[in-house]
Amino acid sequence: MADDEDFPSSSDVEEPEVGDCYLSDHEDDIAENVLQDLEDGRQEDCNWSVTSVITKESLLAAQKEDLRKIMELLALSEQHARTLLIHYRWDVERIFELLEEKGKDRLFSEAGLTMSENKVIVLSSYSDPFTCSICFEDVSPVAITEMDCGHCYCNNCWTGYFIVKINDGQSRRIRCMTPRCNAVCDEAVVRSLVNARHPDIADRFERFLLESYIEDNNKVKWCPSVPHCGNAIRVLGDIYCEVECTCGMQFCFNCLSEAHSPCSCIMWEQWTKKCHDESETVNWITVNTKPCPKCHKLVEKNGGCNLVACICGQAFCWLCGGATGRDHTWSTITGHSCGRFKEDQTKLIECARRDLYRYMHYHNRYKAHTDSLKQESNLKETIQGKIVISENKESRIKDYSWVNNGLNRLFRSRRVLSYSYPFAFYMFGDELFKDEMTSQERDLKQNLFEDQQQQLESNVEKLSMFLEKDFQDFSDEDVMENMKHVINLSSVIDRLCKQMYQCIENDLLYPLQRATHNIAPYKSKGPEKASELSVCWVSNQARSTKTTKMDVLPNHISAVNASGTTLSAKRTRQFHAASSSDESGSSRKLSKNESIGSAPLFDLNMPAEVIDKS
Amino acid sequence: MLDTTRVQKELVECNRDTAISGVSIDLHDGANLTHLCGSISGPLGTPYEGGTFIIDIQLPSDYPFEPPKMQFITRVWHPNISSQNGAICLDILKDQWSPALTLKTALLSLQALLSAPAPDDPQDAVVAQQYLRDYQKFVGTARHWTDTFAKIATVGIDEKVSKLVEMGFPEELARSVLEAVKGDENAALEKLCSG
Ligand SMILES: [Zn+2]
Ligand SMILES: [Zn+2]
Ligand SMILES: [Zn+2]
Ligand SMILES: [Zn+2]
Ligand SMILES: [Zn+2]
Ligand SMILES: [Zn+2]
Ligand SMILES: [Zn+2]
Repeated sequence: MADDEDFPSSSDVEEPEVGDCYLSDHEDDIAENVLQDLEDGRQEDCNWSVTSVITKESLLAAQKEDLRKIMELLALSEQHARTLLIHYRWDVERIFELLEEKGKDRLFSEAGLTMSENKVIVLSSYSDPFTCSICFEDVSPVAITEMDCGHCYCNNCWTGYFIVKINDGQSRRIRCMTPRCNAVCDEAVVRSLVNARHPDIADRFERFLLESYIEDNNKVKWCPSVPHCGNAIRVLGDIYCEVECTCGMQFCFNCLSEAHSPCSCIMWEQWTKKCHDESETVNWITVNTKPCPKCHKLVEKNGGCNLVACICGQAFCWLCGGATGRDHTWSTITGHSCGRFKEDQTKLIECARRDLYRYMHYHNRYKAHTDSLKQESNLKETIQGKIVISENKESRIKDYSWVNNGLNRLFRSRRVLSYSYPFAFYMFGDELFKDEMTSQERDLKQNLFEDQQQQLESNVEKLSMFLEKDFQDFSDEDVMENMKHVINLSSVIDRLCKQMYQCIENDLLYPLQRATHNIAPYKSKGPEKASELSVCWVSNQARSTKTTKMDVLPNHISAVNASGTTLSAKRTRQFHAASSSDESGSSRKLSKNESIGSAPLFDLNMPAEVIDKS
Repeated sequence: MLDTTRVQKELVECNRDTAISGVSIDLHDGANLTHLCGSISGPLGTPYEGGTFIIDIQLPSDYPFEPPKMQFITRVWHPNISSQNGAICLDILKDQWSPALTLKTALLSLQALLSAPAPDDPQDAVVAQQYLRDYQKFVGTARHWTDTFAKIATVGIDEKVSKLVEMGFPEELARSVLEAVKGDENAALEKLCSG
């Protein structure tokens, strides 16, 4: 079957030594090459943003981590550290920067932190009875509370006020009741006062504080899975990246829609909108067709002439829609005198037609690859069947991991390919970059890009073809031949994808003057799988509060799926492991080792549809 | 539900020095403490001088932890008050409300707002534009509106009193009620019938 014409012709491909038969050490060579490629890929991975999954169990831990940093460096209590972090959106580095820039006092006061250092709580200094200036009631000094800012009201009023604020969803920044006092109320006071009257509202307060770490944090986002898996994802580094949650959901971290690189988020948003409303098509039909005055069929205008003929034989004037005779000159039609028989609308029609054709060109190709991806992912099961047959047949060859690796490469590159069409639609169109390039520049860049796109496309189709072959019926020799093609094509395709992203970033997007479009970087293995957040702090207090606090999580958080349960079990182990010094490996490191140990050559990068099914 | 003790105390406290403060609060209808009726006298030296402005006050059940809802009933020409419906743009009635503020302080703030408009944060764009571009014209319109809508019709009050007397109410009562509702005949009648 080995037809060398189908072999990739790209100069990047190293022609493997082709012998009449493959010896086992050849096999090892190939496998080693691929492994080496992967190792290279891994090293690149180090530059990428590190992502972690925050489960309901690790949410508190993640928060404590940042709280501890701030508490230690600024010598603050936990609630003051939290107030500061909430105000500065949990950006620890920013707080340190601002500390340098503004100094401690301004940093604190802007966040509503009042540090009354010489505050001496002498309740007896209040008159007995104390008249609360909110309810105007006289109360005993034991039933009043003074905040850090020094303002004092009766507990009853504080409680009522806190409850209103919590119900309003303002838990994270409850200000003092005194007019224009900027101080944020002490969370411990809020907690205890509200808990005494309405424990369920106190729970909500607790939950809001906990979730602040996600809600008020640019680098942490809820996984967009529906139904929600309960996880959030945290990235360290660039937020323009694609991630995979432990629930299998793959998404663009920045815009939370499906992973769409090499499209930028703006391009993707516009593209999906464009595909949804068919206004373009509708527009084209109204501009380009008119009903025949006789049979009422829609007739398309053909060319610039305004005398059109329906298939029923009726001729009519395009401009007024009225029936006419068939004879005409450039300015008149026999037996017809509406006076509008001019080519005034031609330009408009031509524009609409051109825009639509352009859109259809890109959309058709985008759609074709998306459809192929669907079909190929359906093939996955059939192919697993073939692997089973092959593995059980009388043969020297026992390892068919190349099939799945090839499939994963196919899925990955198909996605890239299909998203490269909407990218090109916007990159070389007027929608987003109208005045960014001269038309010569544009042509030049378009040629450069399309060249790469076409190379990628032809290699992807070839890979698809080799993977669809019935290799289970092949002789060992032909299996080897097929494997060779698959492995080589895979590495060519990976390289082409990488190149295309580089071209996009360096040659296409980077030179733009006005627009800034960030694209998630290419990753051989698909969106980065977020590893579970490691818990590296341990304190008895934290451990004891952990269980109580977790009970107050909202429904969508506490709905732990099956994998969540195993995760939490695993986490407990790490939790203890981290406290004993002999086993210091963080979970991130552990999971990486595991994935190398079990040696799947490429990580999971199946289309989402496949994941949804399983 | 609404903390009626505080509201009652507020009413007493506010109406104690009405003559000095120029603001007062009355019940709008009967015993309902959630619906009140405030009144402020136009500040001296402003186009609102001599006018009495009636303000509708609704108290949410979480008052004083939520701000009272206030709206001018008397039509007024002012950049921060809608000339159409009397809606007010004032921070302490929104996010800057504090439970330590009272209805009286809110009304006093409204009085201060009449003295010192903030055209950069307008409720009524038309008025605000006139205020910024043609201040003299603004003053003229505001004064005209005050004369037209905010002056108690003292001239006609005897006529109204006698009408109420003819309906069978004692003259003294009719006069005091009419004064309390700033000469509004219908409001006076309602009050007389309900009380
Ligand atoms: Zn009180
Ligand atoms: Zn205060
Ligand atoms: Zn998820
Ligand atoms: Zn995006
Ligand atoms: Zn026809
Ligand atoms: Zn013609
Ligand atoms: Zn015609």
